[in-house]
Amino acid sequence: MQSLRDAQIGAFTFFASPLPHDVCGSNGLPLTPNSIKILGRFQLLKTITHPRLCQYVDISRGKHERLVVVAEHYESSLKDFRKPSKPFSPEKVMQIAYQILEGLEFLNKHRMVHRALCPHNVLLDSQAAVKLAKFGLYHMTDHGADVDFPIGHPTYLAPEVIAQGSFHHSDPLFKEPRLPSGPKADVWSLGVLLFELCVGRQLLHNIDISKRLKFIITLGCMDDIVTVLAEEHGCLEAIKELPENLLTLLSKCLTFHPSKRPTPAQLLVDPVFEDISSLYVPYNKPVGLFSSLRCAHLELPENINELCKDDGEDYLAERAIDEVYYLWCLAGGDLEKELINKEIIQSKPPVCTLPNFLLEDGESFGQGRDRSFLLDDTTVTLSLCQLRNRLMDVAGEAYYPLLEDEQSNLPQSNSSNDLSTAVSLPLIIRERDTEYQLTRIVLFDRLLKAYPYKKNQVWKEARVDIPPLLRGLAWAALLGVEGDIKAKYDSIDKETPIPTDRQIEVDIPRCHQYDELLSSPQGHVKFRRVLKAWVVSHPDLVYWQGLDSLCAPFLYLNFNNEALAYACMSAFIPKYLYNFFLKDNSHVIQEYLTVFSQMIAFHDPELSNHLNEIGFIPDLYAIPWFLTMFTHVFPLHKIFHLWDTLLLGNSSFPFCIGVAILQQLRDRLLANGFNECILLFSDLPEIDIERCVRESINLFCWTPKSATYRQYAQPSKPMGENINGSFGKTSTFYTTDYQDLPKTDLLREPMKLSELKAEVSPRISAEDLIDLLELSGPVPFKTPMKRAKAGKPKILAVDIRSMEDFSRGHVTGSVNIPYSSAFGPDGELVQCPAATTLASFKGRVIVILSHALKSAAMFAAHLVKVNYPRVCILDGGINKLKATGLLTVPSPQI
Amino acid sequence: MKKNKGKINSTEKEFVFEFKAGKHHNVLKVPLQFPVEENISDLHGRLMLLHRIPCFVETDLKSSLVNFIESKTIEDYDREAELALQRLTAGEVDLNTLTNAWAKAYSETTLEHSHPEEPSWDEDFADVYHELIHSPASDTLLNLEHNYYVRISELISERDMELKKLQERQGAEMDSVMQELGKTMSDHDVNAVASQHFDAQQVLETKWANELKQVTAIQKQEYQEWVIKLHQDLKNPNNSTINEEIKVQSSQLTELPDAGARHFEEQRQLEESFTIHLGAQLKTMHNLRLLRADVLDFCKHRRHGSSGVKLRRLQTALSLYSSSLCGLVLLVDNRVNSYSGIKRDFATVSMECTDFHFPRLEEQLEVVQQVVLHARAQRSHRQKEQPEAPRNGGGEEKNKNIERNTSNILPGEFYISRHSNLSEVHIVFHLCVDDNVRSGNITARDPAIMGLRNILKVCCTHDVTTITIPLLLVHDMSEEMTIPWCLKRAELVFKCVKGFMMEMASWDGGISRTVQFLVPQSISEEMFYQLSNMLPQIFRVSSTLTLTSKR
Repeated sequence: MQSLRDAQIGAFTFFASPLPHDVCGSNGLPLTPNSIKILGRFQLLKTITHPRLCQYVDISRGKHERLVVVAEHYESSLKDFRKPSKPFSPEKVMQIAYQILEGLEFLNKHRMVHRALCPHNVLLDSQAAVKLAKFGLYHMTDHGADVDFPIGHPTYLAPEVIAQGSFHHSDPLFKEPRLPSGPKADVWSLGVLLFELCVGRQLLHNIDISKRLKFIITLGCMDDIVTVLAEEHGCLEAIKELPENLLTLLSKCLTFHPSKRPTPAQLLVDPVFEDISSLYVPYNKPVGLFSSLRCAHLELPENINELCKDDGEDYLAERAIDEVYYLWCLAGGDLEKELINKEIIQSKPPVCTLPNFLLEDGESFGQGRDRSFLLDDTTVTLSLCQLRNRLMDVAGEAYYPLLEDEQSNLPQSNSSNDLSTAVSLPLIIRERDTEYQLTRIVLFDRLLKAYPYKKNQVWKEARVDIPPLLRGLAWAALLGVEGDIKAKYDSIDKETPIPTDRQIEVDIPRCHQYDELLSSPQGHVKFRRVLKAWVVSHPDLVYWQGLDSLCAPFLYLNFNNEALAYACMSAFIPKYLYNFFLKDNSHVIQEYLTVFSQMIAFHDPELSNHLNEIGFIPDLYAIPWFLTMFTHVFPLHKIFHLWDTLLLGNSSFPFCIGVAILQQLRDRLLANGFNECILLFSDLPEIDIERCVRESINLFCWTPKSATYRQYAQPSKPMGENINGSFGKTSTFYTTDYQDLPKTDLLREPMKLSELKAEVSPRISAEDLIDLLELSGPVPFKTPMKRAKAGKPKILAVDIRSMEDFSRGHVTGSVNIPYSSAFGPDGELVQCPAATTLASFKGRVIVILSHALKSAAMFAAHLVKVNYPRVCILDGGINKLKATGLLTVPSPQI
Repeated sequence: MKKNKGKINSTEKEFVFEFKAGKHHNVLKVPLQFPVEENISDLHGRLMLLHRIPCFVETDLKSSLVNFIESKTIEDYDREAELALQRLTAGEVDLNTLTNAWAKAYSETTLEHSHPEEPSWDEDFADVYHELIHSPASDTLLNLEHNYYVRISELISERDMELKKLQERQGAEMDSVMQELGKTMSDHDVNAVASQHFDAQQVLETKWANELKQVTAIQKQEYQEWVIKLHQDLKNPNNSTINEEIKVQSSQLTELPDAGARHFEEQRQLEESFTIHLGAQLKTMHNLRLLRADVLDFCKHRRHGSSGVKLRRLQTALSLYSSSLCGLVLLVDNRVNSYSGIKRDFATVSMECTDFHFPRLEEQLEVVQQVVLHARAQRSHRQKEQPEAPRNGGGEEKNKNIERNTSNILPGEFYISRHSNLSEVHIVFHLCVDDNVRSGNITARDPAIMGLRNILKVCCTHDVTTITIPLLLVHDMSEEMTIPWCLKRAELVFKCVKGFMMEMASWDGGISRTVQFLVPQSISEEMFYQLSNMLPQIFRVSSTLTLTSKR
């Protein structure tokens, strides 16, 4: 998006037509409100960026189908220059014409038509260059179908537009469907507008609308429309004096028959603009992230200093418009309030507008027409004073942080102290803090522009938090999306029908429909395309219900960039949901759920015991959790915060989230039986997501890596392709997948599902044990990485072999509790010194070592039964360790 | 336009692209549907894939495809536009109707072209009042209102007294006449006396009714004038004549004693409150309340109550012109009047105090009657136009009903009255029900339930945030309403209201509301608690926040 520069931000409002009462769509679902349709269609306008067009920034829905549109705005418009005192010079008029045509042509290329071209909507910036406003109204209202008011000013309507009738659905005159207006309608409006500029007065002013329109239609019988118009308004002399090229332009624009009238594109290359066109350089769209080679057309000026010559003092103006608007909102900006202050929104008290009588089918009577629902399309300038005051103390360095020095994570300015304290505040507060968001947005913006070169730093900063405004791109960076994704996405066939279409069609209108974007028809179209693209491009996988939910956050964040949404989804699924979408995914899911129930037992034995007792197994509730990575159970704003962390973790992090959710519901689960639990989970209660994130991180730190080993997880990639390989030192315990580690014989070995299911507690690998116990000595293998010591869980090794075996050699620091004598008849732990040690270390990770895994598993099950948390078993038993030479024999006491 | 959209007569045109690969000359022909709705890059990608076009012509194909579509689309636009113009010149479409339609569209929907609005007294008064009641003057306003109220109640008790006296006197007279019956008096004489009595009573009642009407009219006028004056004075505080008045008034009130300590034993309502969450993923919070009370308790001012009275009055006054209104559902029969039953009781209550803002109930009902007639006329007119579309299944039978008396309303329909003088309610929805609701087997498609849905919809569109609904769809209990009947009915209404509330979230974006379920006073305590146990099983009650949770 362009930077703000000298532009202002303006807002205008209108109402969408209310729906007729109680009409259902063809699919039996209620109709989408028109305001949502408009909101969905509006999104595309945000991507229309051109120097001759006012940038659209945002749209918001108010009560009762009100919409407020935010866009770039300038105070002066051609309307101000219509006075007879100072008509424009012919040269200036030609320039204006050319600039307007540039804007129109760009719109036409995007298959849009302005239709509301009139002097109010041609704004002038401080260099008196043209900026077209409200060009999107015709597009976003589905060519006027979704609003009650006609689009365009009556004086400037082209004859064919008048002839086609006012496009309103309630109008009985026009039953058959028509094509919307074409690009040539704008050319006529331009002609009228230019005519007014030349003669310095308004045309058809003070005449009744129907007479005005009749006059325009009757122009069809005239030969020379320009002369007729001039005679009618008594300004024939002024017209006669105009230079030849301007007169030609006028008569070309004011051609009555559309087939003979040129299009904007044709006019631009018309000889009348011979002298002018050379002054203008055609606009090239700047290349963005994730497109083709970004440096392909990069040309540095010969003098590098030219790049920084227009650095003013006003750093905020250098930021993109949408950023400024976002900050304006954070700094307390309220659109409706601004509009109410300017008396654009005038609402009557609802008690005065009630209807008198309603029929059974909901049709209401006796309700007067409310004048406050009329269109007033005045644009109100939003004052940036409050925002500027708020950001007064932010130093210039904050706008241009230095990235090369990886040590400083925040800009070194006098405000950095506040910011470092801000980091410790809760996320919700940070996301509402104007200064903090400014620095974060600037920082992320710069980092993302330098992606993938600055990938490491993106990761590092993402661990602090991700600014909501840039979340879409930040996630893409975290997921390692790279390359020309647009070309890839375009080359996927998303149109040809496939068998899955029916299911997709059924699921989409049920997926996160509380959200305005995703419930709009545009949202549905995009949903369908992204989902189909994924299904088509992954022939080995199939569409399972839930994929739609999984797609939702990506689509929401990248609504205008389907390709990116698709790319993110395609990167996300193999990382976290490897093979979950196989046609037969039961083995993957079964293993996943078994590991999950082991994790419950590991972290919360009491809850695990209760749930097992009442038979409330994860299969009954957790499949939608994991299959959709919680997108099915949480609303979008919670998913965002959850995934901000999830994306930083590895594929076993979801287990911890699952356990954290269970722990929030712990009291209710413990208190209830099977039926109540089923009911509770059928409609999951509110979950405090920040607490859930915090706790799942904590749980994750307590979980030995290999405890969540899964046979069917994504196999490790060859080192060269390993995305984490490029990280160097940032690759940590936290991010690396267990499967990504180099294979040694100390790792866990795959086991049968039935065996896995039989064990209550997870197994951990010998390597993990060695690592956690910090055993040194003659290590025959190299530790693949160093782990931050602080993050390491405390551990207690329990050797359950017989006393003799223990004395023949054991792991340093381990306690010996022989299995045979450990438990009493009621399953309680028999008192002995070792058992006391065990009790005193309750809370630590307890690793059970033995010869036979079976007895270890039994022992672990017993411990879990008596509510020992964090119990796990050494995979492969003590034998694994023999090879390492880590077993020691206690020196005989002297 | 909207209904038959998507059927814009599409035409097929053939796109031809030629390219050379080595020595081969290839021609690609693709039929395209116009207007093209598909994304062009997609179409291009699909063609490349489907026809295995070599990549070296990729850009050529794209540009020629874009050009082809652009030029053909322009042609379509031109043809359509010329056609429209031709229709006009050929006289198929009348120029006058066309331009008038345009002019109408502009004048009805845009501020710029619409006729200036005549200032409305009601709305100006609303603004002034809303401003005052949110200013320190609110106390004065309330006191004034209270004084007027006391005056009316005095009148009413005077009237009651006089009526009572008359009745006593007539009773005595009648007794003596009855004793003489058969002796000196004949049946005929007794009848004459009775009718004489009746006439006397009528005369007295009319006299009082007129007097009350007059007094309220005077009060209303005085009050409104005073409010406007107060507002003006507050604006320019130089001439503060009224400030004196405020002081006098306020002192007056403090000494107003709670005279006539008729401390009626308030059989306090049973009530229980719940906070619930609705919605699958995004949840909205609402408050529910189950109450055992008389429906008119929400309307009556407790004459001699405690300090809560004034607070409640203030609360109601503050929110009168705000966007959080309180509504009440009153179940009525099919006649729009106030002659009998609950309608009469309600009318009595609404008369106890002058309505300073809205017309009297009688006048409002007259307007409703007009509107009903108008609505029927419009409906039948429309049905004649489209005779092939009968409305719903029972249409035939209903039409007969309408023909019998068009001024009556049907079950499921409701009219709305507005009040500023009731204690806790601004808006009353008079929902028409028939005897069907007394039977045990009504379904979710019953007109009464559909009426509730429409009421909730009006609540959405007109910012009624608190609504009171009779849970059992009756105001009084009768013998056939057994315990199973009550439970079944309550379950139905709870579930339907839950459904409607979830629907509402999509209408208004999930605004938090309060829904009060009312059960008749005569229901047993035990029954009440059974119902209050049922509620959390149907609605999801939000979990309690435990501050001491350890984990």
